Amino acid sequence: MLDLFRKRRMWRPTAELKDNYDVVIIGGGSHGLATAYYLARDHGITDVCVLEKAYIGSGAAGRNTTILRSNYKTSEGARFYDASVKLYEGLGAELNYNLLFSQEGHLTLAHTDRAMFVMVERAEVNRLAGIDSRVIGPEEIEGLAPAMAMSRDAVHPVMGALYHPPGGIIRHDAVVWGLARGVDRGGAEIHPYREVTGVERSNGRATGVTLSDGTRVGAGMVVNATAGWSSTIASMAGVELPITTHILQAFVTEPLKPLLDVVIVSSQMHVYISQTDRGEFLIGAEIEPWTTYRQQGTLNFIQEASRHTLELFPQLERARILRSWAGLCDISPDFSPILGDTEVENFLISTGWGTYGFKAAPIVGKTIAERIGTGTTPDLIEPFALERFYRDRLVSELGAAAVSH
Amino acid sequence: MSERLPPNPRERINRARTINFSFDGKDVEAYDGDTIGSALHASGQKVLSRSFKYHRPRGLLCCAGQCPNCLVDVDGSPGVRACTEPVRAGIKVTHMNAKPSLDFDVMRATDLFGKPFTPPGFYYKTFIRPRRLWPLYEKVLRNAAGLGRLAKRQADREWRTEYRRRRADVLVVGGGVAGMAAALRAAELGADVVLMDDGPELGGAMLAGQDADSAKELAESIRAAGVEVLAPAAALGFFDGLVPAWQGNTLHQVRADRHIAATGSIEQPLIFDGNDLPGVMLCSGAERLASLYGVRPGETAVVATTTDRGLESALALQEAGIEVAGVVDARAGDGSEELLGALAAAGISVHRGTGVVKAFGRKHVRGVVVADLDDEGRPDPASKRGIDCDLVAVSGGTMPATSLLLQAGAKARWDEASGSYLPDGVPSDIRVAGAVAGHEPRNCAAKSGAVAGAEAALSLGLGSEEDRARLQADRASLLRETEGPAPAGQARTQDAGSRNGKCFACLCEDVTTKDIDYAIEEGFDSLELLKRYTTVTMGPCQGRMCQLASIRQMSEDTGASIEEVGLTTARPPWSTVPMGVLAGRPFEPAKRSAVHGRHRELGGNVMWAGDWRRAYDYGDVRAETMAVHEGAGLIDVSTLGKLVVSGPEAGAFLNLLYPNRFDNLKPGRIRYGVLGDDAGRITDDGTICRLDENSFYVTTTSSGADAVESWFSWWLAEWKLDVQLTDVSQGLSAFNLAGPRSREILSGLTELDCSNDSFAYLDGKRANVVGVPCLMLRIGFVGELGYELHCPGPLAEHLWDSLLEAGAAHEIRPFGLEPQRILRLQKMHILVGQDTDAESNPLEAAMPWIVKFEKEEDFIGRWALEAVAERGAENKLIGFTIENGTVPTEGAAVVVDGQPVGLVTSSRFSPKLERSIGMAWVPAALAEDGTTITVSDEGRQISAAVQTAPFYDPDQELLRG
Ligand SMILES: Cc1cc2nc3c(=O)[nH]c(=O)nc-3n(C[C@H](O)[C@H](O)[C@H](O)COP(=O)(O)OP(=O)(O)OC[C@H]3O[C@@H](n4cnc5c(N)ncnc54)[C@H](O)[C@@H]3O)c2cc1C
Ligand code: FES
Repeated sequence: MLDLFRKRRMWRPTAELKDNYDVVIIGGGSHGLATAYYLARDHGITDVCVLEKAYIGSGAAGRNTTILRSNYKTSEGARFYDASVKLYEGLGAELNYNLLFSQEGHLTLAHTDRAMFVMVERAEVNRLAGIDSRVIGPEEIEGLAPAMAMSRDAVHPVMGALYHPPGGIIRHDAVVWGLARGVDRGGAEIHPYREVTGVERSNGRATGVTLSDGTRVGAGMVVNATAGWSSTIASMAGVELPITTHILQAFVTEPLKPLLDVVIVSSQMHVYISQTDRGEFLIGAEIEPWTTYRQQGTLNFIQEASRHTLELFPQLERARILRSWAGLCDISPDFSPILGDTEVENFLISTGWGTYGFKAAPIVGKTIAERIGTGTTPDLIEPFALERFYRDRLVSELGAAAVSH
Repeated sequence: MSERLPPNPRERINRARTINFSFDGKDVEAYDGDTIGSALHASGQKVLSRSFKYHRPRGLLCCAGQCPNCLVDVDGSPGVRACTEPVRAGIKVTHMNAKPSLDFDVMRATDLFGKPFTPPGFYYKTFIRPRRLWPLYEKVLRNAAGLGRLAKRQADREWRTEYRRRRADVLVVGGGVAGMAAALRAAELGADVVLMDDGPELGGAMLAGQDADSAKELAESIRAAGVEVLAPAAALGFFDGLVPAWQGNTLHQVRADRHIAATGSIEQPLIFDGNDLPGVMLCSGAERLASLYGVRPGETAVVATTTDRGLESALALQEAGIEVAGVVDARAGDGSEELLGALAAAGISVHRGTGVVKAFGRKHVRGVVVADLDDEGRPDPASKRGIDCDLVAVSGGTMPATSLLLQAGAKARWDEASGSYLPDGVPSDIRVAGAVAGHEPRNCAAKSGAVAGAEAALSLGLGSEEDRARLQADRASLLRETEGPAPAGQARTQDAGSRNGKCFACLCEDVTTKDIDYAIEEGFDSLELLKRYTTVTMGPCQGRMCQLASIRQMSEDTGASIEEVGLTTARPPWSTVPMGVLAGRPFEPAKRSAVHGRHRELGGNVMWAGDWRRAYDYGDVRAETMAVHEGAGLIDVSTLGKLVVSGPEAGAFLNLLYPNRFDNLKPGRIRYGVLGDDAGRITDDGTICRLDENSFYVTTTSSGADAVESWFSWWLAEWKLDVQLTDVSQGLSAFNLAGPRSREILSGLTELDCSNDSFAYLDGKRANVVGVPCLMLRIGFVGELGYELHCPGPLAEHLWDSLLEAGAAHEIRPFGLEPQRILRLQKMHILVGQDTDAESNPLEAAMPWIVKFEKEEDFIGRWALEAVAERGAENKLIGFTIENGTVPTEGAAVVVDGQPVGLVTSSRFSPKLERSIGMAWVPAALAEDGTTITVSDEGRQISAAVQTAPFYDPDQELLRG
């Protein structure tokens, strides 16, 4: 509470850029900032700079729909995201910043037998991994989301749902700013409005980066944490990633009095719905099928997402849409992330986040920091190495990934 | 209706007709033509809403639907702008964000006492510990937030809305003088023109002024010229050339070859302590109220301005019958001599070089404190003096309405001379006209519109040489006449001495200038960060009232130039719009088979299956299953996708698509096929019958019909083969007649020799059955002797009836999806999407025999399947049985040492075999007959025995017999 009365700077004014850092992190989104934060916290590595081409959180970190959950389909994924959600649970207190983490539960609806089947499968894998996740029927769903229309005679009847009580939503900007403050206090530097245009190499190792204004920054280690843009940065280092970049869109309504506490996801209707603490309904869909770096939304998305939302919440027909936007998603072939080393030494990557990387920020930061600090790859991210694509060792979230955030 | 002014010729109301509606339960009388806002104001209800955070009373500000101040709920629709919504008899209007009432709101406490606790982003800094109490705090926060209230529950959509699509040569957005002139000129040159405007009447800024009559004339002439006018229709955004607009129950979607943005400009408020009190209105708002609705905005006005607009406004208000107690002009020297002279003549005193530092009053303005401003625009405390008034008409200059242009890819350039952001780098298919282009005065705007209209039409190849010449001349004279808006004075006249002032930069979100200072000092020193942290510009006004103010302040605070501070991204929709409008007409695409009515008559439990409605069963799953085994059964499989692939290269085409061969299939014979993608993953399956040398009849799964059709078309286009593809899915019906007695039944209905010798397993024959031309496929998805009869949809009912009638003697039963699932499971016939997922390939899905690596040509997925063959199967799809009758849930895990290693994909109790059977994915090592696997089903551990051959008739004797 005391903090409220003291007007304190969140972070120091941007410093002069030095010639060289132990670690240069490209991308001031949630992953880049988390990596810098854990480097200092866990390994005392503070000669670190985060280079961001616009303002912090200008990428997907500031555009996502903030769903946190760990009920993934593969056991590798479930274990990894579970570790991340656990870190998030303690992160607000650790950063002394309220991240508005609303753990009110997450429901993935099933509208067909086939979908029920996938839910059962996921619940079982999750249960065996110690994750709170189970299949529930219409009555229980009604109790959790009383505002939802559950009429059975519809193209998409609500037959059941995968219920994940620890899932929920968080405030994305708070995560970005809380982490940025943590990074700043830990001693590392954040440089907004600095665009990387080249990665320098010598003898198969990354040695630094060049910026759009020609500045050169030397680095002992370069981390590519640019999510939607990661394949462009990787190719600067001569690393080809099996990543395609697509847009994902979302919109919010004008603030309304509380109607919905839980997060509702319907893969078949390609829509997911939550209500923020401000009262806005936050609605998203699946990625657009074409690849692009142009963050421009479509009318079709707003129309389709509205139509499907109204199948579940007809009373929202009078709710007004306030703002819509698009962000980039880096999609990998198996819908699982790619993390850690590449064939270029000292050039690490965090990519392949698809539509669900925000929830991974703390664990990415912690494990990449551990990789840098100790020189060894943590077990948790072993399965997600880039190498898996050369060895056909995929970690497939495909079956469950149509709309997953 | 005491607050009405004497009638004036411009007013929109009909004083002869009154209409009644209710506000918060009280009866309100209005005139026909009133808006809810004008009627309420006239009735003395000056407070229309409570603000978002501090619950401060708010009243009419812009009277043009551009601010958050008049949001009300109308018959259950929240967020309606009272000032633009026409009154209708009997509507129930209620306020939104106040408890217990608009006049007495307990939450106002946050304003009076809580202010130090609620700086921007206060919620990020509080309630952090202890974590377990956060859900409680959160509830409180959530309940305090939000404005509108919707039904807790609603069974269905109630509002019928429509889409309307329109193509046009030229779309003009904005129906002010510039937009109308543009539309007129383009239409005169022969263009098909659509014009949209968010007001009910064309004329824009002219309507409330002296030129109202000429606006009406112009509006008539554009209609006469054939322009389609959409009004009131708010343009919502620019989506790569597609412009949606909301009008009543309709969402127009207009696609035009040329666009003209004539969106005008938005008058900006001023910033001083108490600038949000009811009674503080934009000059244009006060004028609109007076002239369009004959409502007295106040008794005594003080006009505060930074430009000549205020001077004009003071004259207009006085003429309308409002006493003007003085004009407070922030500019010391500038100002039109002509206007100043007119003001002097009218006896209105002008305080030059002064600003309002405070508006006072509790729920309404009672007066203002003004002070002299120094060179920097700071008020001099010693010069403070009060003026009594109940209306403060403010004008802080204008902001061109560039949002649509920015969405279309234009940039905004800061124009120091006029003190506004003007559009720049506008895409070539868009023209800009009128105030949004900085072409302000009326004549200039009209010319600017005519030029834009001519340019648009001429660029489409319309018009003559003469028209071109005229355009040149108009352009030249426009250049001469163009005068940008005159430079504006200081818009923020905050009393530097007082720290307690409530100067609102953003009304929607209750953000004060102090909040902005605070946030910038904290380090949120770029506009995008400031916006996200304080939420300034993120409310319902979409930045119309607050963007410029926050940019100016950021520039002052950080020392960055206004140009450097820049604008925030313009995001659609430009005006808020209900989801029901965007969703269009509610529809549930449902496909029904040609004999759908029969299923209902027969007592079928009809359920959704994808887009289809299908009979799940006819009441007795067990009896239906046994009928197929013992007598005969009939199932409607019209949902199957059906394609005819024909042409000299049809066989080669299928060879490339499928992993097995089709070129060597004999005419009249059938082969099973599995489709895969480039990664070798199974995407669909079905049977393929060669009809003759050049044509094949391909069936697909029900749910995959559309996808297979596109997949085939896509590859056909890629490979450019001599093949025609005809999708006959919708035209043909199909029934599967199955069971030991099906041959007898069929024989009685057709001349065709149905004996096993002449119509063998996997034969496909064409013949008439009860006079209905059929393609008959002898296949056995359900595992008994059977015939799939495909026939034209219109004749299907006759065939269905005849089969049941003839089958009656053989104890035939119609059977539904569920019995079919049991029957096919007994045969281990996979269901794509059930037993396979996006990861399954045929080699591992128990169908290695179907992949013909020895085929010389490439086929889709070959490379990937070869890789799988090389590494060997890791997982396999197998069958299993459970003796004790337990049926594990489909989706349950197969575990080894408590870890999931596979899953159950299908499971049923088989009444015929009297045990539980199922299929599961297991690691290859466990895929041996007789191996015991463990299934974990919601914690229960179940043992099952692996079986790799079909559970029923493994040697196909029944099928072949
Ligand atoms: C609409 C939408 C909804 C989503 N919903 C969810 C959800 O509900 N739950 C969830 O977990 N995830 C969700 N995601 C995904 C999630 O937001 C991303 O996976 C995640 O934020 C990516 O990590 P990041 O925060 O580090 O990326 P970003 O925030 O994109 O960070 C990358 C940064 O790199 C910067 N950059 C790029 N190129 C350069 C360069 N050359 N030089 C310097 N800097 C550069 C960018 O400006 C950017 O700031 C959603 C994404 C979108 C778009
Ligand atoms: S007064 Fe109605 S929107 Fe401004």
